[in-house]
Amino acid sequence: MNIDEMMGEIREVNLSYLMLAQQMLREDKAMASFRLGLSMDVAEVLESLSPAQIIKLARSGMLLSRFRFDDSTILDMLANYTKDRSLAHSHAAILMAGQPAEQLAA
Amino acid sequence: MARKSLLSEVKETQLAIELIEAGARLQVLESETALSRERLLKLYKEVRGESPPKGMLPFSTDWFLTWLPNVHSSLFINIYRYLIKNGNCEGIEGVLKAYKLYQEYLKTNEIEEVLSFTRAWTLVRFFDSKMLETTQCSKCGGHFVVHPDDLHDDYLCGLCHMPSRAGKTKKAKEALEAEQQGVAA
Repeated sequence: MNIDEMMGEIREVNLSYLMLAQQMLREDKAMASFRLGLSMDVAEVLESLSPAQIIKLARSGMLLSRFRFDDSTILDMLANYTKDRSLAHSHAAILMAGQPAEQLAA
Repeated sequence: MARKSLLSEVKETQLAIELIEAGARLQVLESETALSRERLLKLYKEVRGESPPKGMLPFSTDWFLTWLPNVHSSLFINIYRYLIKNGNCEGIEGVLKAYKLYQEYLKTNEIEEVLSFTRAWTLVRFFDSKMLETTQCSKCGGHFVVHPDDLHDDYLCGLCHMPSRAGKTKKAKEALEAEQQGVAA
């Protein structure tokens, strides 16, 4: 994959992410903020983006969504479970729901 | 007598319908809406096509501490707290949304429902009245439902420290066998 292709892919991912997030937020803000792992202030910023802004953001050359599993325990539960699949998922879901939301820096 | 606002009545009816669809029992409806008992009864019959179950609501906190219910209620209370903290949700709205998210989670992971809506609502009431609380597991760091009067030093959750026979039901065994046969075939 050359650099141009990679940049193109990143743009695509960003675009789908932003559009999906906006759609989810417009349907139900509270539930969307849980699914996306965002706090209300970030959610409001995302929701209010205009199509032109979305395109500009998507083109910024950086991936806009961040990896949520910065906790190795959760990652381990989801990727390397040996026993019951549903239990491993339940355990991970409890830990995920207990994590703090992504905030805007003050 | 003050005249009731039509608009608020419509809103209450809407809420009642949503609650009935989620599986709330009549006692929940009576305490969360200002509609009369007769109207709620009628509404219930229309939405569900049957009379509401009679009898008291489950009132014991112990159920939430048994193994599988504890896993599910801990998940629910974590979602609920997230919504209250980050989602500008309050009261019954938070319970409803958290329950929807919980059900969605069950559906995507093909897990059987353990916590009914009425149980979830009771759980939140128990938390409000401090009859239950959560504590952090010393191993995984997750928050789990516990009794406030128990000792929680070095608490280990039911998933880090599984009881030896937990989850080993007849059904789970059959499912496992079916899966293995599927792999072999």
